[in-house]
Amino acid sequence: MTEASKSIRDELLKPDSGSVRRSRIDWIMRRVFEASAFLTVLPLFVVIMFVFVRALPWLNPAFFFNNPLDPEPGIFNAIIGSIQMSGLAMLITAPIGIAGGVYLSEFASSRVVSIGETLIDILLGVPSIVAGIFAYLLLVPVLGFSAWAGSLALAVLTLPIVMRTTQEVMRLVPVSIREASLALGIPVWRTTLLVTLRTAFPGVLTGLVLALSRALGETAPLIFTAKGTNALNFLEFGTTMNAMPLVIYRYAGAAEDQLVGQAWATALVLMAVALAMNVAVRWRTIDSRVA
Amino acid sequence: MIRVDGGQGTVPGRVAQGAEGGKHREQSAPEASAGTVELRGVEAFYGTFRAVNNVSMDIHPRSVTALIGPSGCGKSTLLRSINRMHETLLGASVKGSIHLDGVDLYSSDLDPVRVRRVIGMVFQKPNPFPTMSIYENVAAGMRLLGRTPKSELDGVVETSLRRAALWDEVKDKLKQPGTSLSGGQQQRLCIARAVAVQPRVLLMDEPCSALDPVATLKIEELIRELAADYTIIIVTHNMQQASRVSNHTAFFAMDDSRAGYLVETGLTTEIFTAPKLPLTERYIAGRFG
Amino acid sequence: MEVRALHSLRGARVAGDKYFTRLMSAAVITLGLLLIALIGSLVSASMPLWAVQTPLSFLSTPAWITGIEQADGSTVEVYGAAAALFGTAVTSLIAVAFAAPIGIFGAIYLVEYAPKRVAIPLTFLVELIAAIPSVVFGLWAVKDLSLRLRDSIEWWIASTVGQFIPWLSEEPGSPSADSIFRAGFLLAIMILPMIVAVSREFMRSVPVSLREGYVGMGATKWESIRDVVLPTARIGLIGAVLLALGRALGETIAVTMVIGNAEGIPSSLFLPGNTIASKIANTIGEATDVQRSAVVALGLALFILTFVISILVRVLIRRFAVIKAVS
Repeated sequence: MTEASKSIRDELLKPDSGSVRRSRIDWIMRRVFEASAFLTVLPLFVVIMFVFVRALPWLNPAFFFNNPLDPEPGIFNAIIGSIQMSGLAMLITAPIGIAGGVYLSEFASSRVVSIGETLIDILLGVPSIVAGIFAYLLLVPVLGFSAWAGSLALAVLTLPIVMRTTQEVMRLVPVSIREASLALGIPVWRTTLLVTLRTAFPGVLTGLVLALSRALGETAPLIFTAKGTNALNFLEFGTTMNAMPLVIYRYAGAAEDQLVGQAWATALVLMAVALAMNVAVRWRTIDSRVA
Repeated sequence: MIRVDGGQGTVPGRVAQGAEGGKHREQSAPEASAGTVELRGVEAFYGTFRAVNNVSMDIHPRSVTALIGPSGCGKSTLLRSINRMHETLLGASVKGSIHLDGVDLYSSDLDPVRVRRVIGMVFQKPNPFPTMSIYENVAAGMRLLGRTPKSELDGVVETSLRRAALWDEVKDKLKQPGTSLSGGQQQRLCIARAVAVQPRVLLMDEPCSALDPVATLKIEELIRELAADYTIIIVTHNMQQASRVSNHTAFFAMDDSRAGYLVETGLTTEIFTAPKLPLTERYIAGRFG
Repeated sequence: MEVRALHSLRGARVAGDKYFTRLMSAAVITLGLLLIALIGSLVSASMPLWAVQTPLSFLSTPAWITGIEQADGSTVEVYGAAAALFGTAVTSLIAVAFAAPIGIFGAIYLVEYAPKRVAIPLTFLVELIAAIPSVVFGLWAVKDLSLRLRDSIEWWIASTVGQFIPWLSEEPGSPSADSIFRAGFLLAIMILPMIVAVSREFMRSVPVSLREGYVGMGATKWESIRDVVLPTARIGLIGAVLLALGRALGETIAVTMVIGNAEGIPSSLFLPGNTIASKIANTIGEATDVQRSAVVALGLALFILTFVISILVRVLIRRFAVIKAVS
């Protein structure tokens, strides 16, 4: 063996403290990253488990179907209040949001798109309490402390979400689909509605569901608009209405065990609904976001 | 299908392979070593899919060996197995043995990181590090080994850039980002940074395919120069390039299971003028691939 | 972009098209009007305060209300947002300090190490945390997390480092119910998914060939992350942290439930405090006249903060896109 070959053997096999150190650091860092990944997922399980355990003793039919002032109190008025206000909010937001998203994706010039996207970014970043103040200042003087004001406050928060998801989903539709339709002589507006939007619809629906989930869970916009009440309110949007997040917020600091227990149970319901909605819409695309 | 094991005794006249090769040559640099690569029964897998089937050949030191053949024959996979890059992909594995100057590269007490230091690689698309300057790109490998005094680092950078025929063009702008160069220059930068860590072997995976013809010729010229000091293995789709640049050629094809296998090896001049196997002849003549 | 060319694509142009696009554009105009109304209402409703106090004074006075005796015997009320600003800033900083490293490191694991069958469910689960309503987090924090934190980390820090550093100490004998630190910690948990998700995206966009180039020279995987992936993705990572910071600043309910609504700037992180959001939530019910406009002014301040961050993030992300296109 030549001198030169021996040095290869040395280079490759001689124990080398430097490279041992480097490989040890490599191993350590890998463990650090693994531990961090574990930590990012841990809170999910902790919270779910904790809420579940604390809420369980308080779940019974009375809880779901009675109102707060009944002898065996429940949160029925909050459940349907949430459904009503979030539902109304979505009814308002969906057409405007989808229209805006379609416009930004299909028709706007790049300057308008830039402005529009910035607008959406800003509104997405608006804290929910500020949306609440806005509703309090502008809507309550006109509409009073009412479910109208509450729903509109929720609509303000959900509008940018729907607009953004619609725009992004519409952008993903391949140009060739639009071109094929136009080449057949179908007018632009029909193409957009019946072809492009229809193709993007599952994604648009996902956006709507996510926005709805957000609306159901919001507290701050409702605190000084719809305010919450102990009375059952069905379709009377002109007055105060109860909602599940309000129940949790109000009962959390209570002294009586029963109220706290109901807070837990409501939290479980809210959390379960929100998680179920999110899992349902994200499940289909679960693979596509990973390399 | 007739297969010929490449390497063993089919190379007339030239220095025989193995450690003895060193003895028959003038060492151009005192610390340079033989740089002979021996492959025996090498197979490479992506999970359960076999991409390279039973390749055995010898790579001669201080020469350029070209791996040619149609796409999908596992040439790149084989190349990446030599410097243990193939296994960095999840689920990928290599069987068989690969020796460099008698050292088993896949031995279990060998750290792959050290293997990759001794065997350098240049990739298809030039990939200088965008957040590093030209200087830093070339010095990157040395920096990994610990603190080198700046004067020594400067020397290494200049030597490497000269070796890559890039020094004159960049000596005044060493602080500029590596990505500010043209495609051909970037590739030479990648060559410079590969040689900076003093490897024995240089692997090149279609190094010119992303470059224009002028840059390509420059790199080919560079490869011929580098062959004096390094063992170079180059994968190329361009047969003319293989005949211009290499001393030895190995021709690969795909078998029925879509695995690549070695059809024939030999001196470049012989493969291209008088190939032994009909399959090789058909490929050279452009009848397929 | 190709799709933008659509409006110059003359398909079968029908009268309906013009009205159609006009109608759609109305939606975006609505958005703009909404924003203007928002800003307008905040500014005009806080006017009564600006009539009697300068913004600088408002932002720098710690106490929420102080009555100052005037020469003629009447009392002028001076409002101060400093305590709330302090709380907001500190809780958000604590949140980012915890969440940024863990989130980015977690994202590194997902991008660089995790095999697909681990990465897919893990990514999914992390994103799911963002779906949990913040009031649920608030409830859990008040009843569980707070106590755990108080009895473990806070106690530990206070009795060791806290002996030397006053703002890390706890008052002996009366462990507080809520604290700034706890609010910050909870916020960290809540913004973690956002950091992981955005960091992941930016790190994934670093081309594989760059990593290979470094590893091919004999670098370890960690070294390739440290010297190639992270520097290349750096701008995006900063954007991710900023985004999360914006979210932390704006988080209302969970923080309100855990921060304790105390007056003034607390002398220790382990004492209760206030954030802008919690102050608004706690005060707006009973506020009248000038005090009401002070509360609105708080809201305006918060809005400006999040506004600035949104713009910053947008600029950063655009720069990252440009750099990527060039390299």
